[in-house]
Amino acid sequence: MEALETFIVESTVPEEGDAYKSIVADIITELVLGGAIGRIKVLVRPEESLYLMAIILRGGQPTVKLSDIASVEIGDLTKKEVRISITEEKYLPELLELLWARYGRAKVFQPERRTLVMNAEDTSAEIDFLKDMVVADPKRTLQSRLVEMAIRATPEGFRVRYHSMDPHKFVFVASEDIIKPEWIQEANEMTTELMEEK
Amino acid sequence: MAAILEPYIYEGGVHKHSLITELLEDLGGYLIQKVPAATEVTLVMLIPRDDVHLIEELGKKLLGKLTRAPLTGTEIAVVSPTLASHHLPHSACDVAEHLRRSGANTNMLGLARGMGRRVSLSDNYERKLINEHDLAVFSFGTFRDCIIHKKPKLLEGVTVPKVVTGGPLDIKTEDIANADIYAGGIGRVAHRLRKSGELDSLDAMSEKVFEVVEKMREDLAKDPLAVLPARVMKEIHEQIPEIFDVLSPAPVTLQLDGLRVKLPYEQFHEKVENLEFDEGVRLSDMAAITLSKMKDYILVKIKRKSEVGFTA
Repeated sequence: MEALETFIVESTVPEEGDAYKSIVADIITELVLGGAIGRIKVLVRPEESLYLMAIILRGGQPTVKLSDIASVEIGDLTKKEVRISITEEKYLPELLELLWARYGRAKVFQPERRTLVMNAEDTSAEIDFLKDMVVADPKRTLQSRLVEMAIRATPEGFRVRYHSMDPHKFVFVASEDIIKPEWIQEANEMTTELMEEK
Repeated sequence: MAAILEPYIYEGGVHKHSLITELLEDLGGYLIQKVPAATEVTLVMLIPRDDVHLIEELGKKLLGKLTRAPLTGTEIAVVSPTLASHHLPHSACDVAEHLRRSGANTNMLGLARGMGRRVSLSDNYERKLINEHDLAVFSFGTFRDCIIHKKPKLLEGVTVPKVVTGGPLDIKTEDIANADIYAGGIGRVAHRLRKSGELDSLDAMSEKVFEVVEKMREDLAKDPLAVLPARVMKEIHEQIPEIFDVLSPAPVTLQLDGLRVKLPYEQFHEKVENLEFDEGVRLSDMAAITLSKMKDYILVKIKRKSEVGFTA
């Protein structure tokens, strides 16, 4: 499944659905959920004060290891240096946090934007360790980001909410009034439809 | 009232900009607001109509730009249903910024419980605060159903002209109960309005606000104010030096029929009431001076000539 291969926002008035699609798209971008969401369908019926959202998640976003985003080599042999050359700068803050915790802030040198240098007693063992170090785990923050997205995308007054989540899908219903069981059923049907889509 | 004053904004370098303010003073115009930003300065002013070309020429010499600013001397409330990220900063702040570029002073106002359809409410205090402004711009969101059927209850009790903004382009003003004008194309968005279509909608909205303000000015001209708000402002600057210690960007904010003085009421209301004019009258003879709903500021509402019997 490709990222965002289905992205539908429907409303009673089609133009309003389009306008709402831009809001949802902005929020997905803001929360960096583009890679995690495979298919999404949103249904807004303002006259019933109803907001439905069904999301099929893309399975297994892998954890990011240091070897995925950088090359780790021996620097100056005489000084027992380990040199990390970063190719994907996006994860630099997380990486720095980890390195500072391991070596101490003063002992991680950054002579240049994409280069980090540390000293180690046993350089080759250190390099093996660093290569396997997990820098970021998108799964850990996924749930909180999804909930945040649901709350931001819903019209603000719709404070009565229902949600269910498993590793593959996220179903969300929000309204201003008591949620009717048929709405939850409709949302579940929407999810099934999305699942079966080819 | 002597010369007819025209509202203009001057944007240029700080270097020698005092030449402009001096010339303005000599011509009998009023400097309403001065916003210095690093090496640039923005001057909002009222210039006597016959002398605009003099300022324009001087401005050109200083490599600045003089543009007409039809909303100068107005204080506009931009009302959003709540302060949550659903409504702010876009598009309500974009609306406010656009109005400021035309010379208005804007205040952002987030209602406490304005969100939703059935549950949306406005508080008595909020309505009173909105009514202190010259006009109010409400943002009602994307959905036609909400704009027409549910949100207009927020307009009830607001006595100043109300401009409603929303997403759909084809709603007529008559469809929205209590609204004075509807501006479309400005619904809920989660990004800054900067695409050409969005900016066009903002321009159209500004035009509609100009119309409303123009009509209010015409009404005022029929029975003019006892004294120009800009003149009161000048007297405040001369007679109450403490105003220069106020850190707010517009220590004295002009309105079409009054002004807001951002000094504590308890301490300063007597000084404001006793402002003296060359004609031998005091401000309290010509205006109602009350405690503003905004912080503990002083609100001055100037009476009409028909009520006072003279103009200063």
